[in-house]
Amino acid sequence: MEVRVEKLEKRFGRVAALAGVTHTFPKGALTAVVGPSGCGKTTLLRVLAGFVRPDQGRVWMDGRDVTDFPPQARDCALVFQNYALWPHMTVFDNVAFGLRLRRLPSHEVRDRVREALALVELDRVPGIESRRPRELSGGQQQRVALARAIAVRPRLLLLDEPLSNLDAKVRHRVRVEIRALQRRTGITTVYVTHDQEEALSIADVLVVMEGGRVVQAGRPEDVYARPRDPFVAEFLGSTNVLPGTVAEGGRIQPRERGRLLFRAEDVALLPAGSPPPAGAVWTPGEVVDCLFLGAVYRAYVRVGDTMVMADGREPVRPGQVLLAVPKSRVMDFSGDEAGADLIESAAAGEDRRTRTRTRT
Amino acid sequence: MSLATEAHRWERWAWVLATLPAVAVLGVAFGLPLLQSLVASFVREGRVTLENYAIVARLYGRDVLYTLGVAGAGVTLTFGAGIHLAGYLRLRAWPWVEFLLKVPLFVPFVVTGHAMRVFLQPSGTLALALSAVGLVPSGARLGIGEGWLGLVLALTWKHLALVVLLLVGAFRGVDDSYLEAAQGFGAGILRQIWAVLVPMSATSLALATVLTLTSMLASFSIPLLMSRGSGPQMLMVDLYYRFGQHGDFGVASALGVVSYVMASGAVYAYLRSVAR
Amino acid sequence: MSVAGRSLLAVTLRAALGTLVLVVILGPLLSLVVWSLAERWHWPAPFPQQLGLKYWLRMLQGDPLRALTRGVTIATITTVLALVAALPVSYLAARRRLPAGAAVLTLFVLPQAFPQLPVFASATVLFYRWNLAGTVPGVVLIHLVGGLVYAVWTLTAAFRAVGPELEEAALNLGASATRTFFRIALPLALPGVAASAILVFLHSLDEFNGTLLVGAPYVTTLPVYMYTASLGYELQIASVTALILMAPGVVLLLLLERFLRAEYLAFFGHL
Repeated sequence: MEVRVEKLEKRFGRVAALAGVTHTFPKGALTAVVGPSGCGKTTLLRVLAGFVRPDQGRVWMDGRDVTDFPPQARDCALVFQNYALWPHMTVFDNVAFGLRLRRLPSHEVRDRVREALALVELDRVPGIESRRPRELSGGQQQRVALARAIAVRPRLLLLDEPLSNLDAKVRHRVRVEIRALQRRTGITTVYVTHDQEEALSIADVLVVMEGGRVVQAGRPEDVYARPRDPFVAEFLGSTNVLPGTVAEGGRIQPRERGRLLFRAEDVALLPAGSPPPAGAVWTPGEVVDCLFLGAVYRAYVRVGDTMVMADGREPVRPGQVLLAVPKSRVMDFSGDEAGADLIESAAAGEDRRTRTRTRT
Repeated sequence: MSLATEAHRWERWAWVLATLPAVAVLGVAFGLPLLQSLVASFVREGRVTLENYAIVARLYGRDVLYTLGVAGAGVTLTFGAGIHLAGYLRLRAWPWVEFLLKVPLFVPFVVTGHAMRVFLQPSGTLALALSAVGLVPSGARLGIGEGWLGLVLALTWKHLALVVLLLVGAFRGVDDSYLEAAQGFGAGILRQIWAVLVPMSATSLALATVLTLTSMLASFSIPLLMSRGSGPQMLMVDLYYRFGQHGDFGVASALGVVSYVMASGAVYAYLRSVAR
Repeated sequence: MSVAGRSLLAVTLRAALGTLVLVVILGPLLSLVVWSLAERWHWPAPFPQQLGLKYWLRMLQGDPLRALTRGVTIATITTVLALVAALPVSYLAARRRLPAGAAVLTLFVLPQAFPQLPVFASATVLFYRWNLAGTVPGVVLIHLVGGLVYAVWTLTAAFRAVGPELEEAALNLGASATRTFFRIALPLALPGVAASAILVFLHSLDEFNGTLLVGAPYVTTLPVYMYTASLGYELQIASVTALILMAPGVVLLLLLERFLRAEYLAFFGHL
């Protein structure tokens, strides 16, 4: 189901949790909403579920205005951050709860509970149906919560930081499974997380929020490659912020005014004194340390007062180097008004524009 | 507008309606009588007057002071013992003593009154027990059960349990590291209690004091059972006789209003707890 | 002082303190036990001349039995009514959905804060006007004042302990607020509801001030019966009654001490 929110505003006391959010969640897609804590992403999710009534703005589901609908009347299912499994009910009763409310005959309830448990791959755990939530591992609880939500075949699935209580290994596995499940069922899904890597990897559409607003929305690849403002650029990936501007010949001039943003994986380190590569911006620097991160080595390069991260396949010795970044990979927001302008236009509901602000 | 939305609205009203019986009962059996007693204290023979208060001042002035004195002595004794006991229990675990001290919590006030009457009166079981072990001559009468001292002891016995319970709870909330730091400077048990535990639990201590003082000022069944019928009386006993035997609701209400004023500290404390 | 001397002093002081607590707390209660068993005890003998169960057996018939059964009946009615009436109030209060919440909750603490006797005396005047004085409904009504206060506060604490997201999960799947209450909130708060019921029952069983004013002389419960016996110097009867009155509470303390949370225990202090 296509979900559209228009100019949503919500204040809690003096804090504006939502400061004018307009966005359309496309039908059948998995939309990940990402942002730092307090950006309003959970409030947005609770508005969609009907637990929070917005001060201003409307919520539309398939063209119907559901803003004043109570939670019961919305065809959506929410998976809670702490799962919210009912401790006094068995796994079966937890999953069957929504089905029984719909007055399905008991054999159909049983079939659909089994089907839901199979979808989250819990059907192979012996005796799972009669166990209580506290007897299950964190990963299993997560799956039961997911099964309980999809068993009612909702037209909108809402996930609130569903993986944040799992340890890293389980988290990666369940993430893949959620994505596969969403593909298979085609349920329109909104997935809220603070973890940018999780959001980038799982989403069809990525929505970045900050300060109660949507700052950018689009395909994850596009948002990552062409962030529309410094906040998005810094929030996604390992981003360096170097004060300065680019002079003739690509040399970086340290200055107080301008800021050059580029990602650690786009930095090349050349021996000191090498000729600067064509089509790159460059500056001399000093490698002070190099850490092994597993997949890559990360060198820390001192440029003026700033420490720049540079990722590479090979370790780098400390000493003088020439630091170079392809011009096309530099995200330049030195015209700060442009960035401010963008945030405002996003708030005004024009966040679906794909105009790129990257200058080369 | 969907059907579910309508049902939802009706349901919310039904829930609000369901709270009305409880509110009504308290209104009828407590709120209304409270207001009525305030009004009645200013009415005598159908006229608005301060005469009820004049009678209170004339007949019961001494008893007001007596009530304040007994409650003051009771609070002093209760906290003098309670702070040290609770402090000791916080520093040196002693489960059976802690359990024992909780027992009076479950002994109703009226039972306490009777037990203390039997125990403390001049020819009571305490006097007999002391004579059995030879501490007093056989047939001796003990004076403590009559009058203010016996009352103070009885009130202390009943209230000590709650005070110890509240204070041990508050003292357990003080982190061990503060006590260990004090111990590091050579502080003994007494100094740890007075220099660390008491100042760090000041709020709980103040609350417990207010509650105990009010409860003692308003105590009724214990003094009713222990009083001799002559000499000064606690205010609530006066009120009961004024109301029950003289049928004088006006003066009884004025005595009640005096007790409300005495309890204002507790009212304030409770209202603050609701505001939180 | 030597270390050994110090520790010897500490041990002695500790033993003395323990003995003192034992004597002070148990002394009055033991004297009740002795009196309840004393069939004949002429002063100034330090011990009763004859011990027996005569007065205990007398409790099983006539007036004391009537007072006991009447008290238990009143306590049962009070407990059921108080819990049923308090459930919606405490549930809405715990979820901060009570209209005029602060004012309503204030009404539910005032009986704790104000001296009871003058208010109950005033209630007696009203009850006479309404033909409720000296009747069981009148006594139940006066017991409900304290009972509702205990029930509302313990139940509010119990419902607060149930995570709101557990209820949101049910609402989200389509359950109505009422069904959510009965299927999720109430089952999870059940231990608190049980504690609350015990508390209200004991309060009603032991209530004296209101019963004496409103009920006397037609409705006599055990505390009033004990009071009359004690004033009439029927010390054995009064002592047996006193022990019966305190027994449920002390048994409860013995059985449930570790399960009773401090805030519940604190309520008992006001019984």
